[in-house]
Amino acid sequence: MKLKFLSIVLATTALSGAANAADLRMSWWGGDSRHAATQEALKVCGAKHGHTISPEFTGWSGHYEKLTTQIAGGTEADIMQVNWPWLSIYSADGNGLADLNELSGIIDLSNWDAAQIQAGSLNGKLNGLPISTTGRLFVFNKTTFDKAGLALPKTWDDLLAAGPVFKEKLGDDYFPFEAAKLDAALIMTLYGTQATGKPLIDPATNELAWNKDELVNAIEFYKSLVDNHVVQPWKDVASTGIKALHENPAWSSGKIAGTYQWDSTYFKISDPLEDGQELAYVDLLTQDGQKTPGIYRKASMVFSISANSPNKEAAAQVVNCMLNEPEGVAALGSTRGVPSSSSARAQLLDAGAIKQVQIDAQARVLAAEGPAIHPMMEFPDVRSAMQDNLELFAYGEIDASTAADEMMLSIAEALEDIGS
Amino acid sequence: MGGDSKYQGLWYVAPYVIGLLLFTGFPFVASLYLSFTDYDLLSSPKWVGTENYEKLFTRDRTFKKSLNVTLIYVCTTVPLKLAFALFIAVVLNYRIKGIGFFRTAYYVPSILGGSIAIAVLWRYIFANTGLINMIIGLFGFEPINWFGEPGNALFTITLLRVWQFGSAMVIFLAALQSVDKSLYEAASIDGAKPWQIFRHVTLPLITPVIFFNLIMQTVQAFQEFNGPYIITEGGPLKSTYLLPLYIYDEAFKSFDMGYASAIAWVLFVIIMVLTLIAFWSSKKWVYYAGDKRN
Repeated sequence: MKLKFLSIVLATTALSGAANAADLRMSWWGGDSRHAATQEALKVCGAKHGHTISPEFTGWSGHYEKLTTQIAGGTEADIMQVNWPWLSIYSADGNGLADLNELSGIIDLSNWDAAQIQAGSLNGKLNGLPISTTGRLFVFNKTTFDKAGLALPKTWDDLLAAGPVFKEKLGDDYFPFEAAKLDAALIMTLYGTQATGKPLIDPATNELAWNKDELVNAIEFYKSLVDNHVVQPWKDVASTGIKALHENPAWSSGKIAGTYQWDSTYFKISDPLEDGQELAYVDLLTQDGQKTPGIYRKASMVFSISANSPNKEAAAQVVNCMLNEPEGVAALGSTRGVPSSSSARAQLLDAGAIKQVQIDAQARVLAAEGPAIHPMMEFPDVRSAMQDNLELFAYGEIDASTAADEMMLSIAEALEDIGS
Repeated sequence: MGGDSKYQGLWYVAPYVIGLLLFTGFPFVASLYLSFTDYDLLSSPKWVGTENYEKLFTRDRTFKKSLNVTLIYVCTTVPLKLAFALFIAVVLNYRIKGIGFFRTAYYVPSILGGSIAIAVLWRYIFANTGLINMIIGLFGFEPINWFGEPGNALFTITLLRVWQFGSAMVIFLAALQSVDKSLYEAASIDGAKPWQIFRHVTLPLITPVIFFNLIMQTVQAFQEFNGPYIITEGGPLKSTYLLPLYIYDEAFKSFDMGYASAIAWVLFVIIMVLTLIAFWSSKKWVYYAGDKRN
């Protein structure tokens, strides 16, 4: 009898922490390669741990709206890929999403350093586990630059000088770079950050850190890109009716030969390239007298578990499998960038599953310096305050001084609204 | 619930009525309450009184711009669509060979027109390298920047709406066919020419249907969302930023549900007032058979 009782106790102990077979849902955004890899990883991890996981995936556009509505209605998936700046929206006090610290018996958190854990934590609760660290980098089409007889740019002046050469040697429809809408706003922000050494929004005060002259200088720089045939005018970009770079035939064929993108989107922008086109990352372009390289670096995205999930342990098993266990890591590959998990990174590097170009890009992201980026920079109202006024300037509706005034006013209003 | 029960009819309509109350009535009333609150969807609504409406009418330049664009859109789309639908209906009212095919073919855009796929297709057709500019190029003209120029972008969106004239056309066609033929014969005998017959016989007799189409198309035009959302996202320079897009952005991008509700109610009031004006004016231009006023 004693032996039987002991067996039951041992069996119960062994099974404690393990989850029963569960039906789970996982949501994410991404491109085709990420969709395929994640579905494969869910199959592998589901089979390993005895769970079934329904995939729910979309492109980037509209995902924020969908996810927020789901969270508000309590119908979100058990496992979610969440953009890092959204964490503070969904879980301002740390209770809006599951605290992954409580699941540390299942998820091996030792694969992340303290800073990474901190980045995913709110109010001391680990709401999201960073999947990778990402940064905006310059990536150029080396094939096109070779055709123009130019080396890849190292400074803004190099880029400005490349515009006329492209026009003369390759034609009116060739441009060394692209920047309209959000990309234009981010280029403006980078240029201003380099010049001032300050981020646009001060993380310490939640207020605008630049004065008007500094903002005017950054806005006018965008105009110099257009004037020098470096980027297509905003109006011409709009005429294509194309909303994303990777859908643009001019990008695929190399007629647009440069962009400023997250390094984690390498596959998204490299997949559509026609055969024979080669991409190369470079260090952040520099300007004379700059105070910082101004890297825009952040946790690219995190995996979170719903606070409402009845199967948190099972979800944690799947998360751990995708981020730390060999089967899941192999299936997921580097479709979300170079993994933050040290074991996953080592495994993929050993297996040669991360392309050299991604390794180089990640090294550039991690090596570059820049002031901390405020999550509010990615809030829709702040972004539209920047984009809308830059668009008015790009269309010649207002001058740089008025654009700066309007931008400062709109951003201040947006920050006030967010703060309240 | 016997066959002769006097409540039998109520049982039949109950599913619809319950659905209406649940999915239209309740949100309708709730949105009125929410328009007086600050509500971000993730926390409880906070009562702010008339603050949302004050901001809307005194400080919100985007609302002013969006309202202006919406009114231009409605004022151009509705007359164009009605005129086009009536014109095609008149043509299809003639006895020509293959009339059934043509009636179906002209109706198809109305079935497809509101779909996302057609909006995407529209984007490609009017792109700088799209079909329309190719055709324009064949005649030696310079390509037109349909999406990059504010005026052109709104016209492109308008055209998508006008293209979906089929449902209005079918209603016009039914009205045209119900006009008593003897009136045409009488007018002809009196020496009236085709245009005079159309102007003085046909048009007055189909005014009830014109009135119906006017109301329906106006309401629908005020609610247009898919076209501008998919094709231009409201740009450039907010030249296609119709009020429903603004409501959507406030509700599902900024998650300011209270403010979005306030805009929705202003839009509702505008539609309601215009509809009442149309009803009031109808006494002067709509002719009903048997109406003693006529």
